Amino acid sequence: MLEQKLEIRKLRTKLKQHMQEAVPDAHIDYCLTCGMCVSGCPASGIEDMDPRKFLRLLVLGQDEKLLETDWIYSCTMCQRCEYACPMKINVGRFVYELRGMRPKDKRPKNLQRSCDLQKESNSTGIPNDDFVWVVGDVLEEVRENEPEWADLQAPIDKKGAEFYLNQNAKEPTVEPEEMVPLWKILHVAGVDWTYSSKWWDGANYCLFSGDPEDWEKTVRNQAETVDALGVRYYINTE
Amino acid sequence: MSNKKNQQGNTGALSEVSGSVLVVGGGIAGVQAALDLADSGFYVHLVEKSAAIGGGMSQLDKTFPTNDCSACILSPKLVECGRHLNINLLTLSELVSLEGEPGSFKAVVKQNPRYVDPEKCIACGTCAEKCPKKVVNEFDMGLGKRKAIYLKYPQAVPLKYAIDAQHCIWLNKPGRCGMCEKVCPSKAINFDDKPTEHMLEIGSVIMAPGFKPFDPSRLDYTGYGRLPNVVTSMEFERLLSPSGPCMGHMERPSDGKEPKKIAWLQCVGSRDINRACHGYCSSVCCMYAIKQAVIAREHSESGDLDASIFFMDMRTHGKEFEEYYNRAASEGVKFHRARIHSVLPSGENDNLRVRYAGEDGEIRYEDFDLVVLSVGLEMPQQAIELAAKAGVSLDADKFIVTDPFKPVSTSRNGVFVCGAAAEPKDIPQSVMEASAAALEAGRILAPARWKDTKKKEYPPEKNVYSEPPRIGVFVCSCGINIASVVDVEAVTEYAKTLPGVVLAQNNLFTCSQDTIDQMEETIRKEGLNRVVVASCTPRTHEPLFQETLRNAGINKYLFEMANIRDQDSWVHQNEPEAATEKAKDLIRVAVAKVRGDAPLPYNSVKVTKSALVIGAGVAGMTAAVSLADQGFPVTLVERKDDIGGHARKFYRTWQGNPVQDYLASLVDTVKSHENIDLKCGVSVKGVSGSVGNFTTVLTDGTELKHGVSIIAVGAGSFKPDSDSRWNYLYGKNPNVHTLLELDQKFIAEDSSLSGINQTVFIHCVGSRVPERPYCSRVCCTHAIDQALKLKELNPDMDIFMLYRDIRTYGQRERLYQEARAKGIIFIRYDLENLPAVTEEGGNIKVTVKDPIIDAEVELNPDMLVLATAVRPKVDVHDLAKFFKCSIRADGFLMEAHMKLRPVDFATDGIFLAGLCHYPKPMDETIAQAQAAASRASIVLSQDEIPAESITAQVDPRKCTGCAVCTEVCAYNAVSIDEATEKAVVNEAMCKGCGACVAGCRSDAITLKNMGNEQIMAELETIMDNW
Repeated sequence: MLEQKLEIRKLRTKLKQHMQEAVPDAHIDYCLTCGMCVSGCPASGIEDMDPRKFLRLLVLGQDEKLLETDWIYSCTMCQRCEYACPMKINVGRFVYELRGMRPKDKRPKNLQRSCDLQKESNSTGIPNDDFVWVVGDVLEEVRENEPEWADLQAPIDKKGAEFYLNQNAKEPTVEPEEMVPLWKILHVAGVDWTYSSKWWDGANYCLFSGDPEDWEKTVRNQAETVDALGVRYYINTE
Repeated sequence: MSNKKNQQGNTGALSEVSGSVLVVGGGIAGVQAALDLADSGFYVHLVEKSAAIGGGMSQLDKTFPTNDCSACILSPKLVECGRHLNINLLTLSELVSLEGEPGSFKAVVKQNPRYVDPEKCIACGTCAEKCPKKVVNEFDMGLGKRKAIYLKYPQAVPLKYAIDAQHCIWLNKPGRCGMCEKVCPSKAINFDDKPTEHMLEIGSVIMAPGFKPFDPSRLDYTGYGRLPNVVTSMEFERLLSPSGPCMGHMERPSDGKEPKKIAWLQCVGSRDINRACHGYCSSVCCMYAIKQAVIAREHSESGDLDASIFFMDMRTHGKEFEEYYNRAASEGVKFHRARIHSVLPSGENDNLRVRYAGEDGEIRYEDFDLVVLSVGLEMPQQAIELAAKAGVSLDADKFIVTDPFKPVSTSRNGVFVCGAAAEPKDIPQSVMEASAAALEAGRILAPARWKDTKKKEYPPEKNVYSEPPRIGVFVCSCGINIASVVDVEAVTEYAKTLPGVVLAQNNLFTCSQDTIDQMEETIRKEGLNRVVVASCTPRTHEPLFQETLRNAGINKYLFEMANIRDQDSWVHQNEPEAATEKAKDLIRVAVAKVRGDAPLPYNSVKVTKSALVIGAGVAGMTAAVSLADQGFPVTLVERKDDIGGHARKFYRTWQGNPVQDYLASLVDTVKSHENIDLKCGVSVKGVSGSVGNFTTVLTDGTELKHGVSIIAVGAGSFKPDSDSRWNYLYGKNPNVHTLLELDQKFIAEDSSLSGINQTVFIHCVGSRVPERPYCSRVCCTHAIDQALKLKELNPDMDIFMLYRDIRTYGQRERLYQEARAKGIIFIRYDLENLPAVTEEGGNIKVTVKDPIIDAEVELNPDMLVLATAVRPKVDVHDLAKFFKCSIRADGFLMEAHMKLRPVDFATDGIFLAGLCHYPKPMDETIAQAQAAASRASIVLSQDEIPAESITAQVDPRKCTGCAVCTEVCAYNAVSIDEATEKAVVNEAMCKGCGACVAGCRSDAITLKNMGNEQIMAELETIMDNW
């Protein structure tokens, strides 16, 4: 995977040191190269990379190779490797660090755009009014067409509701009827719930683009909204 | 310091010292320790928590690397333990408390009720047959069922049933069942049995609680507990075992089909600080997995079983292990250097799918019929509690703490430990430690030797001369070992027809306690005067059966064995009919021989109570001090002018203890010991005599009389020649060193070391190569410890270790982890891709391929360290010849039995310790030296020992006095009487080898019970059916 001979006079591992400082109990050096992560990782082999090679390059100071690889966008940071790793090494966590280190203009465009939009309102960029309108419209349609659901509810900004529900932004945008089954379940279960009219997007693309400030902002916006509504429980649908 | 002073210092008056020892745990370690102690003059209380002794070894099918049937080699020891006059066997018992001081402890032992009177139980099994309550059988690891009244396993010692109070219907609701009581023919059932408490007065204690296999259900990704065809290695042992739930037919749990494709997953519950919480290596799993793969292939009906072992480092670091591994690979066992993330179901046929990556990262999928998890060893909860009761400390891994220089001593004086409870280890190592612990436990009680023991009395022997032969033939099934091939019933019926045979019977296990007892009774009742046992090998079982004859009041030489297992059922598995015929032939021959057997005298020789120890390294010095402290005079012979051996070159043990300080104090002890006569600058020139009475002549002309010898001559280190493939610039560049040379620098506190920027270590230099196929065992740990020492001196130093498999077995794994944590980089190479070492202007360049990133790495070290092989000494051959010891092809000395007699030679009275046996670190060397001393103490503590009875005898009428016999006798037992000019045999020295008989030109010498008439009778009867 390396084109040329790796010559080591003095081992320099800047990136590894960065990871060790950024991640508590990083355990990078503990790797036994046993391959357990590779055999469990869904992204093994993509971009000529796998979790073990990733760690090996870190240990051998091949920082450029790591800063360049797009494998960090194939790894979903699912933590399957860490779950079984005998040394409890969380490769996904390092991938997250690397994603954040990648200049914004070098990141996958859709991912970064979704995050940027979410920082404004939601990841699809539809106006909040549209969301409110779509929910009302779909609800009305169900009540009309399905008499047994004539009293179905989809409250928005209902103060003091017991449960707060967020929403994957893709559904109100392109598949609005997909929202209905959950409403029905909550209805049958007799749950007192509500959406909010702003910061209602349940996805958090900023977590995947790798900027801690951005995804924290996204979470904080939603948390503040929920607090303002005085809701006790928070249901994350993502 | 002599032992006497020691004793008085610790315990006051000698009369207060107890002559008894408590051994806790009845596995192979506890049993061996008990036997050593009981045979050397101490009374032993052996406490076992379950209903029978035998421990983990009794559950195994075969053992590595000899592929011996585990139960078969264990059983004689268990029976001996069960019958030993000086071993008080307390089963279903546990230690409650331990108070007092070394020399005078008081232990309270609680014995739980068996509900079956062992005096009355005849182990007929009727109770279990009728018992309506089925219970999961823990001996079969839960794979099979047993009854609430049960026998732990077929060869159990004691062979007595026990009632499981938790499941027995009557004990839970009195009056409801009671079936066993109704059917028991000997009225042995006692539902009113109560727990009893024993107050034991003892002088020392040995802890041998053993291990527990890791429970993989907490590792959900293995599929264990969810997928029926994922089993643990211990479960697989039971599937292979003839006494297991499928009678050794290897059936997989889901559908009882024979698996055709099996995967072993290594390191389950070991070397895992994540979910398994055990950072240590369990030491034994690599070898047992290979053994299981080899045995499973033998078991498979089609013979083409597909066996794959998925591993990380192959750890075959013991004697003959590497050869075993190579042989398995060449025979077709597949080895994949990959760990498996998860085991998943594959389709609907109960098969299992694994996804794995080669070192190159390429993903492969493979389906298996059965997956075996090679689970590690851990300390059982009960053993942790036991340690607390005994007041001994545990380490972070929960194993009992020991000291590298006192490898069997615990944190409490007078309490010793052996076996897996101190660190995961294999059977030979456990047996070695057991003897070592026995030595230590006995050493502090030496003044009370024979104080608490009883003496064996045999009934008077019946005179059989005037009687016609009344021969009894006992045909053994050996479980299914014999009976699955040989038609034992037909053979038994046939035996009844042979001349002189008055009784023939078939037994499931002839060596089991109940059969032995019954045989004794049968001999008396039927008035037998000759006995033939058709079973296994006389090598392991003859003494047991001969003892039975003596107990029954007939001379033990009126006995023959026919080996219908090793030489018949095992080698003719595919020809049952021919094997049955061969069994008949073998029995007919044995009967023909026994008919002519005469009773022989029980010869004995007086023991010279002193020892010769050869080699004054750590092993020899430890052995010498161990014997001398017990009051036995020792001559310690060292070829060089200085003592200390290899240890003089070592910096520290892997645990971090400085070697030189320890060595200096050991040397002092040796030099000042009143019972040690140290002779330097001399070696052995000639040896005569045998156990109890050796005479050794040294090169300075000294003649020594001694009862035993311990050989501890050490080993050398391999230094690669300039034209060797493993030279790596050694001797050419001043910055290339061996491990020991680097240790010299550490000892000398060489300040240049901290200025080094980069160091490269190359492992396996001259080990695990075609010309030296064994693993040198010590180098991985030694090299890694050195790398850590270099990091201490200069934390910024770059260190690269080029290795083939890292073999930091047991708790040494901690060093490997520490080394990685400190940034030391490990790069794997193999024989096809050796590191290339070159020099440019005095600078060393090492090029090696990193298999993970598939790229050449070029290193530029200031220092290159070679982990070179431990090499046997060439001159050991002479010594071996003098003492008639065998040497293996690799040049290391060969012990009597690799598994169960690791420090004995086949020649009685000669023992071995240290590197001449096999490469080993300091702690194991010390333990082995103590073990050798323990075995030697057994001889030295006797006034007389039995001598050979089957000796040569001369017919003076035929003897011409030609003296050929004196020349061919290897034991100097024959001489020409000056007065009569006829040959005479010294019975005490004659070994009965028969060389003189063959050499005699005038047919004047015969061997007792091996006369021409008897041999001809055997030969003639062989031809009967031809």
